[in-house]
Amino acid sequence: MDSLNTGAMLVGFENRYQCKDGSHRWLRWSCAPVVEYGQIYAVAHDITDRKQADVDMRQLNADLDRRVVERTAQLEATNRELEAFTYSVSHDLRSPLRGVDSFSRMVIEDYGPKLDDEGRRLLNVVRSEAQRMGALIDDLLQFSRVGRQEMRQQSVDMSVLVQDVIDKLNLPVERQQQIVIGPLPLAHGDHTLLQQVWVNLLSNALKFTRHQPSPVIEVGATQAVGLCTYYVKDNGAGFDARFVHKLFGVFQRLHTEDEFEGTGVGLALVQRIVQRHGGTVRASGEVNQGAAFYFSLPIAKESPA
Amino acid sequence: MKNHTHSVEILLVEDNPRDAEISLRALKTNKLANHIVHVKDGQEALDWLFGAGEYVDRDVNQRPKVVLLDLKLPKVDGIEVLRAIRADPRTQRLPVVVLTSSREEQDVVRTCDLGVNSYIVKPMDFEKFSAAVAQAGHYWLLINQEPA
Repeated sequence: MDSLNTGAMLVGFENRYQCKDGSHRWLRWSCAPVVEYGQIYAVAHDITDRKQADVDMRQLNADLDRRVVERTAQLEATNRELEAFTYSVSHDLRSPLRGVDSFSRMVIEDYGPKLDDEGRRLLNVVRSEAQRMGALIDDLLQFSRVGRQEMRQQSVDMSVLVQDVIDKLNLPVERQQQIVIGPLPLAHGDHTLLQQVWVNLLSNALKFTRHQPSPVIEVGATQAVGLCTYYVKDNGAGFDARFVHKLFGVFQRLHTEDEFEGTGVGLALVQRIVQRHGGTVRASGEVNQGAAFYFSLPIAKESPA
Repeated sequence: MKNHTHSVEILLVEDNPRDAEISLRALKTNKLANHIVHVKDGQEALDWLFGAGEYVDRDVNQRPKVVLLDLKLPKVDGIEVLRAIRADPRTQRLPVVVLTSSREEQDVVRTCDLGVNSYIVKPMDFEKFSAAVAQAGHYWLLINQEPA
C-alpha cells in the first residue's frame, strides 16, 4: 500500500495462504492503482506449482552435490586401499621369490657337475622365471608408490632433466648422438616423478629403435594456451595403431617378450604420473614406422623468473 | 650355539630361515663365517647381547664385530633392538648393518637417526644378495678399524 501511495504504477509481491483444507498455496499479486476511482486493480496468479518446482530443484542440486562429495571420497578411499594393497602384496612377494631364485641357484652351484645339460637348463628356466617375476613386482611396486607418495611441486628445467636422464642411461656415444633435443619449456611439478616419465619414454624409444639401421629419437615440445606438450618421437618398430587404447594399460604389451623385453608397466606409470600432474598422455604410431608419445602438462600460474 | 670358546664376530638377527641360510652361505663362501651367531627374533637378540634369558651365562663384554639386523622381526622389532643397542654404553659403538626387505623412507630415516652404520635393502636376486652380505661382512670384519 505504501508503494502505491507514493505513486508506483505497478506493484508485485508473493504471499502464502492457507486453504480451508489446511494445505498452502502461493499467490503472486500484481496491483495497479486506478487513481481516479480511488481503487486498486489487483490480479493474483497461483504460482504454487512453480514455487514447489523451485524448492524441488534446489533440493535436487543439494542432494547431487552431497552424493558427488560422498562418491568422490569413496573412490579416493578405494584408490588408496588398492595402492596400499598393491604395495603390500608386491613387498611380501619379494621374499619367497628371493627364496626361489636363490635355492635354484644353490642347486646349480652345489650339484651342477652332477646334472646333465638338460637338468641345468631346467633349473635356469626356474631362475629366469623368478627373475622375470621380480621385475614385474618391482615395476608394480613402483607403480603403486607413484600413487601413494607426496608430490613435491617445483620449477623443473626440462632441458637439464632430459640431459641428466640421457647421461644416467650410460649410452654408447653413437646412441647418444641419435637423440635430438629441441627447446623444452620449464615445467612445474615433481622433479623425481617427471624424471621417471622421461626415463621410461626415452628407454622405450631406445629399445624399439634397437634394430633400426639409422635410428633417430626426437625430443621436443609445443606450447598452447595454458598447456605445454612434450614429446618423444622415434623411427623404430612402432606399434599396431588398432591397439593404441591398450598402450597405457598396466601389464599391457603390444609386443612379445621375444621381440622386445618389458613388463608393460612403463607407460602405465607415465600416464599415472602425468595424470597426477593434471595432464594427459597420447600416443601415435604405425608398425615399423615409429611411434610418438606426447604428454601435456598444465602451465603453472606463477611464472618462474 | 650358546657357549663359545672363540669370540663371536657376527650376530645375525634374521627371522626368515631362507634369508638366514642365504646370508650364512654367502659369509661361509667368503670365509667370513667362522664365528656367527644366528638369532631368530628381536627378543633373542637382546637376550644374547645383554646376557639374559637363555644367554644369561654369556660374557657380555665379548662383543661381535658387526650385527646384521633385519627390521621386521617377531616379538621385538629391529628398530627397538637398534635403540637398545645404542642406549647401552656397553654396546653403543657396536657396528650395526640393517639388512631388510623394507625400502620405506621412514625406516631409513629412523634407523639413521638411531645411528645405524649401514642400511641395505635385501636384493631379490641371489647373487646380488650374497654379494651385499659378503661385502658388508668383509668391510666390518676385515677393513674397518674399531677402537680397541
